[in-house]
Amino acid sequence: MLTVENLHKSYQVGKTSYEVLKGVSLEVEKGEFVAVMGPSGSGKTTLLNCISCYIPADSGSIRLGETELARLDENALAEVRNKKLGFVFQDFLLLDGLTVRQNILLPSIIGGMTTDLVENRADQLCDVFGISAIRNKYPAEISGGEKQRTAVARALINHPLLILADEPTGNLDSKSTRAVIRSFEQAQNALEATIFMVTHDSFAASFCDRVVILRDGVVWRTLEKGATGREKFQDQLLDAIREMGRE
Amino acid sequence: MMRHFSEVYALMRRKNKKQYALLAGCCFFSVLLITAYVCIMRAPTILNVLPEGGDSRKQVMMIFALAVLGCAVFTTYASGLFFRQKSRETGVFLALGASRAQVRGELYRELGVLSLGSCAAGAVLGGPLAWGLWQVFRLCVVDTEEMRLVFDPHAYLWSLSFSAFVIFMMFFLGGRSVKRTNIIDIVQESHKSEPIRDVPRWYGPVGIGLLLLGVFVGYMSSSFFVLVLHWYPPEGLTGIFYIPALVGLYMILLHTVVNGWNSKKKLYKDLIATSQMRFQGRQTVRNMLVMTLLIAGAYFGSFYAPMLGTGSMISYDTRPVDYVYNFRADQDLPLEDEVRTMAEEYGVTVTDFAAVPMIRLAVDGDHMIEEEGPVGTTWRTEYEEVVSSELFLSASGYEELTGEPVDLAPGEIRGVMDAEGSRFAFSPNRNLVTNYITKERISVTSLEPLRYDSLFARYVMNDEDFAALSAGLPDEWRETQVCFNVENCAETYDFAKALFNEIVDRSTIEVAQFSGWDPVVRDWYIMKEGIYFLDREHAAEAGFTVINYDQRDSSAFRMDWQYMPAFRILDKADFVKTTAVFIILFVFVAVVCFSAVFVIGYTRCMTIALTNRKVYEDLRHLGASNGYIYRSVRGQVKRVFLVPALVGTGLIYIFYMIILYFNGSPLGITPSEAAGLLAALAVVAAVSVLIYAVYRMTLLHVCKQLAVRRPKGGQ
Repeated sequence: MLTVENLHKSYQVGKTSYEVLKGVSLEVEKGEFVAVMGPSGSGKTTLLNCISCYIPADSGSIRLGETELARLDENALAEVRNKKLGFVFQDFLLLDGLTVRQNILLPSIIGGMTTDLVENRADQLCDVFGISAIRNKYPAEISGGEKQRTAVARALINHPLLILADEPTGNLDSKSTRAVIRSFEQAQNALEATIFMVTHDSFAASFCDRVVILRDGVVWRTLEKGATGREKFQDQLLDAIREMGRE
Repeated sequence: MMRHFSEVYALMRRKNKKQYALLAGCCFFSVLLITAYVCIMRAPTILNVLPEGGDSRKQVMMIFALAVLGCAVFTTYASGLFFRQKSRETGVFLALGASRAQVRGELYRELGVLSLGSCAAGAVLGGPLAWGLWQVFRLCVVDTEEMRLVFDPHAYLWSLSFSAFVIFMMFFLGGRSVKRTNIIDIVQESHKSEPIRDVPRWYGPVGIGLLLLGVFVGYMSSSFFVLVLHWYPPEGLTGIFYIPALVGLYMILLHTVVNGWNSKKKLYKDLIATSQMRFQGRQTVRNMLVMTLLIAGAYFGSFYAPMLGTGSMISYDTRPVDYVYNFRADQDLPLEDEVRTMAEEYGVTVTDFAAVPMIRLAVDGDHMIEEEGPVGTTWRTEYEEVVSSELFLSASGYEELTGEPVDLAPGEIRGVMDAEGSRFAFSPNRNLVTNYITKERISVTSLEPLRYDSLFARYVMNDEDFAALSAGLPDEWRETQVCFNVENCAETYDFAKALFNEIVDRSTIEVAQFSGWDPVVRDWYIMKEGIYFLDREHAAEAGFTVINYDQRDSSAFRMDWQYMPAFRILDKADFVKTTAVFIILFVFVAVVCFSAVFVIGYTRCMTIALTNRKVYEDLRHLGASNGYIYRSVRGQVKRVFLVPALVGTGLIYIFYMIILYFNGSPLGITPSEAAGLLAALAVVAAVSVLIYAVYRMTLLHVCKQLAVRRPKGGQ
C-alpha cells in the first residue's frame, strides 16, 4: 500500500542545514492502522508531510500502491491528495463557512465527483461517526471531538487508499480522544481504511496494529500489537519510550 | 446542495463578506481619491493659477506623489491582509487535493470582478466627487468666475494608470498566495512572523539627530548652492540632502518599534507588546514610515490656509492706511475730487487724503549674470551703475503721506521696509541714483530704512535732490502715490469695489504689467537677449501671469498686477475669493493624505491582530487577565498611530518654522508668522482629535477580532 524507502529530508535555517529524516524506510499494508511515535524533533511530522506531498523530500522513495509520488507533476499530486489520500489534522482545518456535511463533502466537490451517491455516503459517514445530529451545524457550533470526527469523515469521503493523521487527538480531551480513535477503528473495520497516524499519545497509539518509533530521524524500533491486549500494548509502548530515554 | 467548487468559493465569499468589502472598499477609496485629486490637479482652473515650474505646482506634485504612494501602500497592505486571511481557506483547499490552477482560477475570477468593479466605481465617481466638493466649496465659501471647474479628460489617464496598478498588484499578490510550493506554509500563514535584526538603543537619539540635521541641511542646501557656490544645482540634487532625514526617521521608528522609549525598569510591563512588535517590525516600520510622511504631507497642505489666512489678515489689519494706490502720470485715474464725489455716492466719508508725486529712477547694484559651464548653470554678479529702477518719494511727500517727518540731507536716501522689517527681495542700500532719461546722476548714502507697510519698497530722498532728478522725466517715469483713510472702513466695501473697478477700467493696456516689470531691466534684456520675459507677449511663455483687466477678480490678477491697489476692506473681504483655488487644493490634498493614513493604520493594526491571535490565546492559557491582554493590544495599536502622528506632526512643524525663519530678512519669525503658526497649531489639535477617534475605532475592532473586552474604567 505505502512504501517509504531511505527517505532523507533537511531544513535550511540561515546558513545551517538540519537533517530531520536520515534514511527512513517503512511499509504500511492495506487495511493496517499504523502509528508513528517519537520525541519532539524526531521527524515524525516531517515524515507525514513528505508522504502527504506537502513538502518535497530530498531523496528516497515514497510509493503509494504502484505510484512513485516523487515523479508526479503538480496536478497529478493534487489528484493523489484528492482521490488517494485522506487527511486529518491536529487543528481539524474545517472551513468555518461550511456546515459539517458540506465540510465532509468538500474533497468530492473539489474533485468534481459529487453525486447523489456521494451525498448518501456523506450521510452514512455521519451515521458511522455519530455526527448525524450535527451535520447541518457549523464548526463554531460543535465540540472539538465532533470537529475531529467530521474531519475523519471528510478524509474518508473519496474512498482514499490511505488516511494520514497528524496528531489527531492533540487538541482533544480524553473523552473526545476516545471518540476519535473509535472513529478510526470504525473506519478500519467497517470501511477497510488504511490509517497512518503521527502521535505522541501512547494511549491513542495503543489502538494501532503497529507503532513505528522514530528517534533522531531514523526508525528506532517497530512494535506490533498482534494478539496483545490494548492496555498491555500501551505498557510496552511506554517501556520502549522509557528505554529510549535511558539510551 | 452545492456540488461545484465555484459554489464552495461563493459560499466562503458570503461567509467572509466583510473581508471582501474591506478590500473592495480600499480599492474603491484609493482610486476614488486619486481620481478626484487628479481631476482637481489637472483641471485648467487649477493649472492656470499654478505657474509651470513654480513652487506651488511643485508642492502640489510632491504631495500628489506622496498621496499616490500612500494609496498604493494601503491598497497593497489591504490586499496583503485579505490574502493572509484567505490563506487558511486556500491551504485547506490545496491540502484536500485542489490543484493550484483550480484555486487560482476561482481566485482570479472573483478578484477580476472585485478589482474591476471597485476601481471602475472609484474612477467613475472620482470626477463627480471632485466636482461635488468643489461645488460645496463654491456654495459655502466663495464663488467666482475663476472658480468654475473645468475637467481635463487626460486626468482619467492618470486614474486609469493607478487602477491598472491596483488591479495588477491584486492579481500579483493573489497569484503569489496560491503559488507557494509549501502547503504547510499556506496553512500556517497567519502565524508567520516577520523577523527583524536587533536594534541598538542608540538608534533613537542618533535618529533624532539625523532627522533634524537632514531637515536643516536639506532645506539649506539649495541656498548654499545658489548663494555661496553661485551654482544652480540640477533638479532633484538638493533632494539628496534630505536623505539623512529619511534615514533618521527610519531609525527613530525602528527604535520605537523594537526597543521602545521606556527605561529598562518599565521593560517587563510592556514586554508582550514590545516583543510582538519586534517580530513584525519590518513591515510595521515601513507602514509607520509611510504614515509619517503622509501625515507630514497632509499637514503641509493643511497649514497653507491658516498660515496664509492669519498672516494676511494681520497684515491687512496692521496697514497704517485704509486705501492706497499709485499710478503712472500718463494714466487718467481718480484723484481727490473724484474720489470724494464717489465716496459721497456711497455714503463714505474720506479723511486724510494725500496724493504726492513719485519718480522712477535708475539705481546701481549687482547684475546677476548666468553662465552655462561643464557643471551646469553658474552665476556671478557684475556691478553696474544702472541695474534696475525704483520709485522715489521726496521727504516732504513722505511726510505728507505718513505724517512722519524725515530729515534727509542732500545725497541721503532711505528705503522703506514693511512694519515687521522682514520682507525679502528688497535692497535698501544704493550708492548711485540716475535719471534714466537725462542721465543726471547723484551719489547717495543709504541710511537706516524707514518702516511703513503701505509704502513698502519705495525710497525717500531729499526734496532738492528729488526736484533736480525729476527734471526732464516723461510721464511714464512719473507716478502719483495716493493714500487716504475713511470713516467706518469695515462698511465701505461697495465703495472700495467701485473705486477698484474705476481704477482698472481707466488703466490703459500700457500699464497692464506683471509686478516687477522694470523699464531699466527691460532695456538690459532687450540689449542682451532681444526679448524681455515680463513683456506681455512673452510672460505666458516664461510662466508668468498675463495681466488681463477682464479677470480683475482672479487671484492671479490681484496678486500680480503691478498697480494693484491696496484697499484694506477689499483685500480682507475678497481674501478667500482670491486664494480659494489654493485653499481648496491644499485642503483636498490634506483630505487625501489623512484618509490614506487612516486606512494604512487600520489595516496594519488588523494584520497585527491576526498575527498575534495565537499569542493572545497562549497568554490566556498562561493566566493573563483580560485587562493585561487589553493593555498589550492597546500598546501595539497605540504605537502604530501615536508614533507617526507625533513624528509626522513634529517634523512638519519644525520644517515650517525653519522655512519661516530662513525666509525672513533679517532671519527670524515675524509676529504675523507666529500667529500663523498658532493657527496651524489649532489645525494640529483638530486633526489630532480625528486621529485619536480613528485610533479608538481601530482599537475597538482589533479587540473584537481578538475577543478581548475593554476592562471597566480602562482607556
